[in-house]
Amino acid sequence: MKPVTRSLADAAEKHLDDVYRYVLYLTRDPQAAEDLAAETFERAVRLWHRFDPARGSERTWLCQIARTAALDHLRAEERRRRRENEYAGRAVEEPERLVEPLSPWLREALGTLSAAEREVIALRVILDLDPTSAGRVLGITPTACTTRLSRALEKLERNARSARVA
Amino acid sequence: MSPETTIDERFDEIVSALRAEMPPTPAALHARVVAATATPSAPPRFTARRILRFAVPAVAGLSVAVALVVGLDTAIRPPSQENTALARDSAPAPETLVTPASGESGAAQDRAARTLAPTQSKSQSAPAAPAPSGSRAQDYNATIVLLVDGTEELSGTTQRALRTTRRLGGYLVSVNYTTPEPGAGTAAVRVRIPVSRVQAAIVEFSELGRILSQNTQISDLQQPLDEVTRRIRRLERNTARARGAERERLLAQIASLRRERTEINRRAAFATVSLDLTTHAPVEPAPAQGRLGRALDDAVGILLAELVIAAYVLIVASPFLVLLVAAFVGSRAYRHHADQRLLEQA
Repeated sequence: MKPVTRSLADAAEKHLDDVYRYVLYLTRDPQAAEDLAAETFERAVRLWHRFDPARGSERTWLCQIARTAALDHLRAEERRRRRENEYAGRAVEEPERLVEPLSPWLREALGTLSAAEREVIALRVILDLDPTSAGRVLGITPTACTTRLSRALEKLERNARSARVA
Repeated sequence: MSPETTIDERFDEIVSALRAEMPPTPAALHARVVAATATPSAPPRFTARRILRFAVPAVAGLSVAVALVVGLDTAIRPPSQENTALARDSAPAPETLVTPASGESGAAQDRAARTLAPTQSKSQSAPAAPAPSGSRAQDYNATIVLLVDGTEELSGTTQRALRTTRRLGGYLVSVNYTTPEPGAGTAAVRVRIPVSRVQAAIVEFSELGRILSQNTQISDLQQPLDEVTRRIRRLERNTARARGAERERLLAQIASLRRERTEINRRAAFATVSLDLTTHAPVEPAPAQGRLGRALDDAVGILLAELVIAAYVLIVASPFLVLLVAAFVGSRAYRHHADQRLLEQA
């Protein structure tokens, strides 16, 4: 039986690192990741009464909220970029972002992956979620989750080898 | 690392590298989250689940309460006079129609109409039909409907009716005998009986089966008969004084009136009796219910009506519900696909 944290404050203390790492891998933007992690727990405060331990762990539930917040952020960014490009009449250069606190070769290798590939790596490797829980966060089956992870790791390993050589 | 989270060992090196570089959580973020989660927010008072949890039993309870109130109201209210009269009458009352001739005395009319023929079972004494007048010509018509048991008895009873008719000096006008299915049938027998014996005939016919209904209609023929007789006498007096063609014409008129008088006398001499035999028992009216029975009936009726209305609403609304569900599922699938595309391009 999964242990249940008594309050959301305890859950936040326990899972803040995981949520932050997940959204960092998803967005590759430390500032955005910080904001999204804070927003995740603000949403969790409002939705805590709907958390059902029988349906999954707190960490899985928090990751689902974080993913929703990240997707809202990505959609908003996409709309902003489109408006700016339309206004400028050309593709506008993205401003420099803070770099993730990772080794250069890993940062470069991760940069070649899509957000979908990075998030499955974050959930399965960094957060060490099982395929079922990760699949629940991503909205796919455990088998599809495992397949996606294999492809993402293959691509990462190949690009990491190239980045190291470079 | 638990067995179910084990990743393909081909990727051990890259996995180890990734896990070795876990980015730390910024202290500022930690402070923000601690502040945000320090005060738990009160759960909303009204949620869809809570509303459903109370609404469904409330609606069900209200439906039952309405049914009980209606039932109690019926139990408290005294039964209507119409229902009481219906409960008392267990069989239709026979009809007797007497058509008096103009000029006949009120006493004679009363005598003709006074005697009624009640409906009785076979075992009881024969009913008394109105007696024909002995001093006046009348057109006497009687109809009796009898219940017999099966087609064999139907056939036997029809034969007995015909024998009775002949024995009493009457004759058969028509008979229509049908047995559309095994064990069931009808016979319509129409006979003419000398009017002086019609009461005896009715008594004997009534004993052939169980009386379901009886009808007697009497029309006075004396007045038209007297009128015809007066016209004949007047014409005969005129004929005595007439000559030639005028006399011939009067004689022809007299002959015609005499034929008319004969016809009236023939009608008055024989009564027409229609005997309808059937094997189909009449539907017995339901016995009167007590207060509790009526109350339960009304309460159950209300509940059934509510169920019918609910089923009707569900049937009418179900296509829209299906469309709504399909739209919801479709929009979720589209949203999932759109999110996946966004993540692949990001």
